[in-house]
Amino acid sequence: MNSQFGHAALKVIKPALAYAALLLISYIICFPLIWALSTSLKPSSELSAMPPRIIPQTMTLVNYKHLITGKQQYFGASQGYQPSSAPPQHFMSWFLNSCIVSGGSTLISIVVSTLAAYSVTRFRYPGRRLVPYFSLLGYMVPSIILVFPLFMVMTRLGLTDSLWSLVFGYVSITLPFCMWLLWAFFRGLPLELEEAALIDGASRLRVFFEIVIPSAMPGIIAAAIFSLIVSWNDFLFGRVFMNSIEQLPLTVGVMLFFEGVHVDWGLLMASAVLMTVPMAILFMLMQRHLVAGFGAGAVKG
Amino acid sequence: MQADWKVADNRLGILFILPFVLAALVFMVYPVLDAVRMAFFYIDPLNPTGDHFAGFDNFRFIFSDPLFWKSFKNAAVWTGTSIVLQTLIGVSLALLLHLQLRGISFFRGLLLFPYIVPTVVIALTWQWMLNPEVGIVNYALKRAGLISENIYWLSTPGMAMISTIMLNVWKYTPFVTICVLARLQTIPLELYDAAAVDGASLVRRFLDITLPQLAEVLVVVIVFRTIWTFNKFEEIYLLTRGGPGTSTFNLAIYSFEQSIANLKMGVGAATGVFMMCLLFAGSVIYIRLFRFDEESTP
Repeated sequence: MNSQFGHAALKVIKPALAYAALLLISYIICFPLIWALSTSLKPSSELSAMPPRIIPQTMTLVNYKHLITGKQQYFGASQGYQPSSAPPQHFMSWFLNSCIVSGGSTLISIVVSTLAAYSVTRFRYPGRRLVPYFSLLGYMVPSIILVFPLFMVMTRLGLTDSLWSLVFGYVSITLPFCMWLLWAFFRGLPLELEEAALIDGASRLRVFFEIVIPSAMPGIIAAAIFSLIVSWNDFLFGRVFMNSIEQLPLTVGVMLFFEGVHVDWGLLMASAVLMTVPMAILFMLMQRHLVAGFGAGAVKG
Repeated sequence: MQADWKVADNRLGILFILPFVLAALVFMVYPVLDAVRMAFFYIDPLNPTGDHFAGFDNFRFIFSDPLFWKSFKNAAVWTGTSIVLQTLIGVSLALLLHLQLRGISFFRGLLLFPYIVPTVVIALTWQWMLNPEVGIVNYALKRAGLISENIYWLSTPGMAMISTIMLNVWKYTPFVTICVLARLQTIPLELYDAAAVDGASLVRRFLDITLPQLAEVLVVVIVFRTIWTFNKFEEIYLLTRGGPGTSTFNLAIYSFEQSIANLKMGVGAATGVFMMCLLFAGSVIYIRLFRFDEESTP
């Protein structure tokens, strides 16, 4: 009797415990972002109010307005301060820069690695087996080793301080793991359909565009998402390659808010939220593909 | 005729690999080789024509620099602690997420979130949360009666190290969980049936059945995470800038500071070469363990 009760109770308690643990973990995962959102909606008078509240007493969008309309912060507040370099002014151009460079480098990496993955898995020529090894090694090399030699390359090409330097810089990080992921993916695609089409007299190019690309789409999307995430999130390359304030990517630009006497946490948290939004949207739309990508072992991190 | 078609066909294959080869040569092979070259030169970034050969001077410099060894030690402690925590938490989380519960896929999806959040964003929000005076973490700890004095999370050496480890664990534990979860889902259920008949306890079943099945994926994940964690730059630099002082320097930050702040790019490159040697040792272990070469031959 007693043991039966215990058994039944255990059956109820265990899922309850599991859910409690899951909720706790979700809270730990989400809290930093929730807190950033909450802070960004507070007026500056409430920022250091004790006790801190998650729901602001007075909500305001003023921080977002400053970032989006580029209000000159502390204008004329201190002598020697140059209004032209007030960081919030540049927020929107930084945002655009980040979109351009992560989009550009992803496009290049995806096109190049799709062609290469098809070539390596469908044709026979000497050296093709080295490509996946090479990619694996390539994506283990940390950015800190690549960044200064690449900076020298960009100097020689006359690209420093232009967005192209970042596009190419990110290709050096994203290309190896796109290649690795797509190689694994193409290797797993069945050959029968392609062979049948070739025997029927379809050209290689037609087979490539009409059969191979559509069936490789899940892999291509997963690789593109990872590539977008990596290049959108990078700080190091932007920090080393870029000089002029309006050319910075978002990650480097936002760190400039720390310069100056007074750190405006409301503004910083609003930037943090806006910086996360594109990735969060991508994340929600593409969750399925992300998991597939993790499954294929293509994670840079 | 047939042979002609083959040759023409292979040409297309070579045409398709060309962009990759070109991009790889310019943006991957050349920079790595150049990093090795730079390690043997005195380089002044302000005077690009003034490079001159340094022999092993840069290596002598780093090996006799106490800060280099301190950075090495920090990197080892940082990596070791992070990996142990990530593995323990990651495996427990995977076991939890492996339960057949309603709505579990929502939690599985959520788990990927820290991975997509930019490191800059995490560093910013953590600096705000860990602010000693007005941060919410100190407030919560005081409220709960766990501490009576404010903790200076980022400005005392030991706490700064702990803070960066927490950030790293927060961000990368999901990586371990996802990999382990994927493997858990492929363990045949029959293995557990026999144990259930024998009346083995949960702990025994985990140790005798689950853990051996996970061994392989765990080794791969640990090797990968060790290599990456050891070389991390942004996770530390953005939170503490390597500080206070030099207390959270790792080799990546040491290399960065030598190149940028001290303009000793040769010394920075020598540090990079040292890191690469460790990395290649790690990769060799990985390739040996994974043996993907055998399966990869089509």
